[in-house]
Parts: sequence; C-alpha cells; structure tokens
Amino acid sequence: MRALSAFVVALAAVLLLRSTALSAFAARGIVLDALAFATVVWSLRHGPAWGSSFGFALGIAADLDAGHWLGRHALVLTLLGYAVGRLASTLVRESTRTQIALLITATAIHQTWSALFELTSWSAWPYLALRIVLSTLASAALGALLLAIAKRLAGGPLFGNVSVQPGQTR
Amino acid sequence: MAGMLPPAERRTSALVALYVALSLLLLLIGERLPQAILRGAGATLFAPLDRIVLAGDRLAASWRENQRLHQRVTELELENARMRDAVTENSQLRERLGLAVARDLTLRPVELLALSGEPVPASATLSAGWMQGARAGDVVVTSDGLVGRVTEVYPASSRAAMLTDPNAPVACVVESTGVLGIVRFVNAPRPRLLFTAVPFTDTVRVGQKVLTSSLSRRYPRGIPVGVVTGIGRDPSGLMQLIEITPAARMSRLRHVFLLPGPGPVPSGLAVPAPGAAPPVPAVRR
Repeated sequence: MRALSAFVVALAAVLLLRSTALSAFAARGIVLDALAFATVVWSLRHGPAWGSSFGFALGIAADLDAGHWLGRHALVLTLLGYAVGRLASTLVRESTRTQIALLITATAIHQTWSALFELTSWSAWPYLALRIVLSTLASAALGALLLAIAKRLAGGPLFGNVSVQPGQTR
Repeated sequence: MAGMLPPAERRTSALVALYVALSLLLLLIGERLPQAILRGAGATLFAPLDRIVLAGDRLAASWRENQRLHQRVTELELENARMRDAVTENSQLRERLGLAVARDLTLRPVELLALSGEPVPASATLSAGWMQGARAGDVVVTSDGLVGRVTEVYPASSRAAMLTDPNAPVACVVESTGVLGIVRFVNAPRPRLLFTAVPFTDTVRVGQKVLTSSLSRRYPRGIPVGVVTGIGRDPSGLMQLIEITPAARMSRLRHVFLLPGPGPVPSGLAVPAPGAAPPVPAVRR
C-alpha cells in the first residue's frame, strides 16, 4: 500500500512539474526531460517490474496530457523502465558517472523517439538533432545534480549498496 | 525460454509484454478512444494541485506586477478618454456607410493552470469551466494579444488550443495594408509562427502588425496576433514565407481573458439594415 502511494505521488509530482515549472523552459526551447529522469530513478530504485509499470503509467498520462499519439511515450518509457531496472542489479547505482550515463542514454532514446513523430520533412533534422543533444545534456546534468543533492540531504545512499537488490530493502 | 527464467522474472517479462502490447494498440487505435473525457477527469483532478504549485511563483510576481499595472491603468485611462471620442465618431460613420457596428467585447479573467504539449506548449488548462460560464469556442487573449481558443470545456476547468498548436490556424490581416493570410504554427524545420498564403504581389514589411481578420469564423476581428519579423520565399516559390513573433508572451502566461467567440454568421458577412447604403468593398493595397 505504501509502495503504491509512493508510486501515485511520484507520478503526480512529475506530471505537475512538467506542466508548470518545466513548461516555461520548454517554451524557451530547453526541454528538460522529467519523464525519462523519473523513469530512470524509479527503475534504479525499484527494479524492472516497478520500473516498467512506472514508465507505462507516466507515459500514458503524458500522452493524454499532450492530446495526441496515445501510446507514444508509454511504449518507450515502459521499455526504458524495464531496461534500466534490469541493469540496476549489475550497476553501482550510487556512482554519479553511472547515473549520468544512464540519464544521457535514456533521455537521448526518449527524445529521439519523440522527435521521430515530428519529423515531417528532412529539412527539420538539424533542428531536431540539436534539440535532442541540448535536451540530453541539460537533463543529464540537472538530473545528476538533483540526485547528488538528494543524496546529501538523505545523508546516505539513495539506491542502497551493492548487496541490496533493486526493489528490496535491508 | 520462458521456462528457464525464475518465476519473478517470468512475471516481469509478462508484465512488460502486456504494457508494450497495450502501448502499440493505443498507438494504432488511440485516436478512436474518448480522450476528452479522460483529459477532463485529469484536469479536474490536477487543477487544485496546479494552483498550489503555482501559488508561490505568483505571490512573488504579484507585487512587481501590481506596481506596473497601476502605472498602466493610469496610462490607459488617459488613452481611453481619447478613444471614447473616436469610438463615437467611428460608429456614426459606420452607421452612415451601412457597415456592421462592432459589438462590445466582454472580458472574463481566468487563471492559466498548466501548459501541455512538446517541445513547445500547444494547449493550456484554464481555471474556468462550464460552471463559470466558459464555452467551447471562447477566444483566449491577454492584454498583448491572441493566445488561442477554448476547445474542450469541463465542469470547473477547460482546455484551450494555443496559437502554437499546428492544428489551430487563424485567418489574419496585416494592420496597415489589409493584406490577408493565414497564421499557423509549424514545428519543422524549427518551431515558428508563419503568416502563410500571401502571394508575392502583396507587400508585407518587417515590423508590421498582424491582427485577426473579419473573415475568421472563429475569432473576432482586430485582435493582435503578432509582428512580422522575417520575410522569405515559400518552398513552392509561389507564396511569401513570412515569420511573425506572437504578440502575447507565450512563455509568461499567468492570467488570461476569455472573450465569447463570434456567432454562426462571421462579422464580415453581416447583412446590412434594409434601406441602408451597400457596404463598400474592401480594397487590398
């Protein structure tokens, strides 16, 4: 029950942040990918089953909010959640380098997939490529910084040490 | 292969397969589902939370905005006195020419709760629904100009398609020359607002203002839409490619106003009163 409440609260928080604070950045051309960030963090912490469920629920909500292409975000975030969740058991999850690498990969995949739906002509690809690169770098840098701050505030590891598998507690 | 996996991993794989299948199914048939009902439920659920999140930001901005608004009110009151005189003169002249007299616009202030769409926000959630008198088709404006149009109305909130929605074109006119065209937002090759369908025989210059035209069935005439910032050639080579900057500051929207949309008969096609002189045809210069 507690896990489900955390799941719903995290979903609502990401969607709220996306439609309020982050939309102002998006209007200025800087897309901070909160969806990919949240899916990566959730999957690192809770493993593949919860990661893919979180990605799917977040994706469906984002698709509904965007008002078109239902299933677009849901598909890619489900797969990202599953992949990161699977990798989480073999990675040093507390390492900033690991987090940056995962955030870069996940944001790049998510943004590229979203951009494919907007590619109406080949003349658009330089702009879209630039947007993907900027979004990936900005999201990864800000995401890693947020995780570092959260770790400092928590006073301990965010994802547990190597002996603790994702989705389990000590 | 599935038999080789431990039970927990089998369950996870089955779950992911289900999600992927559902996502693909939604990609194929999602357009046929009643999305407006689901979005309405979401908007109603999120509206109080949006208000809480935005409260801090708005409190900080309100003091500065209040000072600016006091100054603006004084300026506008002075300007209004001059305008009232001009309005009386204008309506007398229009009456003598048999032209339809413009109706008064009633502004209803509403709060903008959330923006959605990517990369550029294309729709907005507003704090007024049918219980507050909002109707589908109402026009959304700020003091700077046009923002969009209400497309879906829920009990206590509504959703508006913004000028930045590629599927919401607006019939417009250049203020000083009367050149007609369609303003539409395009995402490719980069997001921008274009004034399209303008032939090379019409002269448009950088800096000219673009307003909603009387030919629009969805917007009242004369609302500022943007300013011309660049002129080029359409890929077809037949039309001009005119780029405009929106009059309303789309990235800084907090409060907007609702205007009732035009009725079923566009204002430009109003029938003159019996016995009145025929309307003077518009001359395009």
